[in-house]
Amino acid sequence: MTALLELEQLHYRFPGGAEPALRGASLRLEAGRRVALLGRNGAGKSTLLLHANGLLRPSSGQVRVAGEPLVYTRRGLLAARRQVGLVFQNPDDQLFSASVAQDISFGPLNLGLDVAEARRRVAEAAALCEVHDLLDRPTHALSGGQKLRVALAGVLAMAPRVILADEVTSGLDPWMRRQVFAIFNRLIAQGVTVLLATHDLSVARQWADLVAVMEAGQVVAVAPSAEVFRDAELRRLIGADE
Amino acid sequence: MHIIDRYAYSNAIRELDPAQKGGLALIAMLFCLALDHPAVGLLTLVWMFALATLWAQVPARAFGRALLAEAPFLLLSLVGVALSVSLAPLVSPALQLGPFWIGSSAESLALATRLFTRALGCAAALNFLILTTPLLDLIELLRRLRVPETLIDLMSLTYRAIFVLLESLQRMATAQDARLGYAGPWRALRSAGLLGSQLFLDAYRRSQRLQMALESRGLAGPLRVLPLDYRRDRRARWFGAALAASLLLAGAWR
Repeated sequence: MTALLELEQLHYRFPGGAEPALRGASLRLEAGRRVALLGRNGAGKSTLLLHANGLLRPSSGQVRVAGEPLVYTRRGLLAARRQVGLVFQNPDDQLFSASVAQDISFGPLNLGLDVAEARRRVAEAAALCEVHDLLDRPTHALSGGQKLRVALAGVLAMAPRVILADEVTSGLDPWMRRQVFAIFNRLIAQGVTVLLATHDLSVARQWADLVAVMEAGQVVAVAPSAEVFRDAELRRLIGADE
Repeated sequence: MHIIDRYAYSNAIRELDPAQKGGLALIAMLFCLALDHPAVGLLTLVWMFALATLWAQVPARAFGRALLAEAPFLLLSLVGVALSVSLAPLVSPALQLGPFWIGSSAESLALATRLFTRALGCAAALNFLILTTPLLDLIELLRRLRVPETLIDLMSLTYRAIFVLLESLQRMATAQDARLGYAGPWRALRSAGLLGSQLFLDAYRRSQRLQMALESRGLAGPLRVLPLDYRRDRRARWFGAALAASLLLAGAWR
């Protein structure tokens, strides 16, 4: 079975950075998985996600989307981003329009869809994320949880097969968290893979079926959740031990 | 800003096509400027107040407050027109203040009145428009009028950024205040300066993250979004005709 998303031996150093941010990080994601990406601050989680979406280009290594190597041209990047969606940590960084409906429509229109199809996608994504009654509200009048769901809808409207979410559930109240995970679970049931970078060990233990652990720019382990929590060394790396 | 924005999104004619609301405001302003008659300006004020409060159900207080905020600018400019200051003695009713003579004349008073009523009418027309139409819809209207896309994108990003940065500003100011940053005028001045520079950095970093987020959703040149849907109201046309006719009549009055 070919993987939906493969990151192979990625190396990257931020311009002016003293240490490389990624040193040979590899990860392979198949369809319909729920994956938690753990690792302490600075381990390279966000950098890895930016590579998976083609926003950063590795100095060496390869990103493959549905078996095809990512080509860093406008067309190649658009093809990759159609399949791999990225939800940012702070929705205020992602929502650019004061209109909820217009913000969600941005991705579908960039895919070259016509207005009727884009409208359908907006309605569908808004219903899935339970923001359909917010469509004609101004973005700045929304609560944090509502903004996150709108940001999520903006990514889902592009119908990606992999959703990468960076720390999106931190700072949400339990009700809002359950709502966001309910959305994730609906997507996973449709065969979408969701990867959530998080510091929340209960998410990794209870929600994820696969846990990837990063340390110093490398993915040091990818294993079923239960295994990771049994392994003494991995427990130390994810901060599960006191 | 917040008050205007709140009513713009919650008034009774929020869903109305911005072209209709903009058209009414435009008719009012054109007649105010072209007829240049005190009665026209005052009648425009009455019209716009009535449309805003009765049709759009914006509270009279909100309309009044917006007008009051503009009044100082208007009055300041009037002083210069109505009064003349001279070193030589003035003939008409005048007041001597040291070496200066401050006086006025019937012509300058008439001019000031015309100017005042004209500006008042135009301000009222614009207030009607911004209190009933979210900026988003005005931008959409400009888009339909084929204003260059780059300008449209800049306007919509700026509008969104105002609220995002306002939130940052409030957070930072609270954090400074919590550490006694505003105890005493000198410390307050220093804190405000620091706040300004930090806000600039914050805006810069945000713009970079926004750029990344837009790229991840396939940014390609101008920001493409769906057009918004509006309701059209037959009455708007009648209002426009009645407005134009009554202003013309008022302008003919001697």
